[in-house]
Amino acid sequence: MNLSRLAWRNISGSSFRSAVVFLCALVVAGLALSTVLIVRGARDSLRLAMDRLGADIIVVPQGSESKVESALLMGVPTSVWMSGDREAKVAAIPGVAAVSPQLYLSSLKDAACCSVPEMLMVAYDPQTDFTLRPWMQKNLPGGLKLGEAVGGTYVFTPEGEQNIKLFGYFVTLKGNLEPTGTNLDRTMFFTFDTARDMARISRTMAEKPLEYLPNSISAVLVKVTPGANVHDVAVQIVKDVPGVTPIESPNLFLAFRKQISGLLGAMLAILAITTVLSLVLVGLVFSMAANERRREMGVLRALGGTRNFVFRILLSEAALLALAGAVPGLLLAAFSVYLFRSLIVRSIGVPFLYPSPLALLALIAGGAILALIGVTLAASLPAYRISRLDAAVAMRE
Amino acid sequence: MTVVKVAAVLMVVLALVIGIVPQFTDCQSQGRALELPTGKTVAMKCHWSATAELALAIPIAAVGVLLGFSRRKESMRNLSILGIVLGAVTILVPTVLIGVCASADMLCNSVMRPLLILMGVLLVVISVVTLLASNRITEQPA
Repeated sequence: MNLSRLAWRNISGSSFRSAVVFLCALVVAGLALSTVLIVRGARDSLRLAMDRLGADIIVVPQGSESKVESALLMGVPTSVWMSGDREAKVAAIPGVAAVSPQLYLSSLKDAACCSVPEMLMVAYDPQTDFTLRPWMQKNLPGGLKLGEAVGGTYVFTPEGEQNIKLFGYFVTLKGNLEPTGTNLDRTMFFTFDTARDMARISRTMAEKPLEYLPNSISAVLVKVTPGANVHDVAVQIVKDVPGVTPIESPNLFLAFRKQISGLLGAMLAILAITTVLSLVLVGLVFSMAANERRREMGVLRALGGTRNFVFRILLSEAALLALAGAVPGLLLAAFSVYLFRSLIVRSIGVPFLYPSPLALLALIAGGAILALIGVTLAASLPAYRISRLDAAVAMRE
Repeated sequence: MTVVKVAAVLMVVLALVIGIVPQFTDCQSQGRALELPTGKTVAMKCHWSATAELALAIPIAAVGVLLGFSRRKESMRNLSILGIVLGAVTILVPTVLIGVCASADMLCNSVMRPLLILMGVLLVVISVVTLLASNRITEQPA
């Protein structure tokens, strides 16, 4: 009988001890993976959202920074507007390589004239745009025509219909962008011409017309020239263009980043407490089991088992239990976080992106190794103590 | 045998969750309903999913109770297979057979559907474990 088989027999023979260690490994591994998935998913999501916008600076109306960030990340409907001439003023600032205006609109909630739930709609200028251009060049070289739109990954044409109805206006969905985990996944992009046409049609066809100030925009996306200092350009924008606030790319979504840091702190604290308590419990259980099994270990020694053999049996038991508990715990955590991802986004108030299958596999493998090391370490001290006992003493006591 | 007993208890717990939670997480429980042009209101499809799950929870609980009291290897095996089938149907009701509301913001979509999928998967896994465990039981001759 080899070592692992003997260890497995011992595990089967002591169901209470095995159940305690199994549950500890399951809880710690599952909790650790959930924490990593949520915090890492939130960070990836913010990074992808910034990449998607593709701007070094976003210029928004003064005092509306949080509204624009909330609209882009969490889909909070917003109506922030500023005069369209700000675009030309920003473009004239030294160090600015490209500017592109965007107008943020939102569809109506529970209205018969809108066939989709309330969503953020972004009107952009195809002549100057650099947010969608990389995707367009790859997937839609002809660009968007009047009445056409592209949507985030969760935007779809309602079942049985050929177009999406917005304010009584029919929009043809030409494609979907890659997921970011943010509200950009539920955002629809179309040209300024389509927005104007939609506003015109909505006056007669919608329950409530789509209204915005003529020649107005919600934000100007800025790309700086290579070598130019982004902060210096932002300072110049504040000086030269009144009534606007430039948000530099590293400072974008700052409130959400702080929220993620707070979340990380709280989750790490819970994880640390759970891990320490579980490892102490595992150590105690093994310590009790080691005392109960002195005679058994003494017999093994008397039959010719070395101290090293006894030590390795006990550690094998711990390792097998750690893996048997950690693997289902990790799979359960990964599956649960995937299933409840939209609930998690709403509960913690930050966007969240699920990792790729390969990254998830690496995280699961890492979690299993950590659980294996943790439980084995917790069991090593009692295992060492019992393996050092003299065979005669162990059998007599 | 201990594995089968623990699995039986877990099955009853899962049956309770499958039967009760959807009744409080469908759109009807949140005061939402479809309004027809005639002014009449009709329950959304998530409500019918919740009702179907309630109907499914009863045989799942029965399988759990019977499994807890069964002594014969064949009974355990048959009940385990029934558990696998019921677990699969638990998943299929909110995903394929009836479904839930399309909007990701609705409670039925964000809570009821994922919960039922999770419970269904757990039921299938537990039933597979009892099936394997029952095959290893050696019956004593009468």
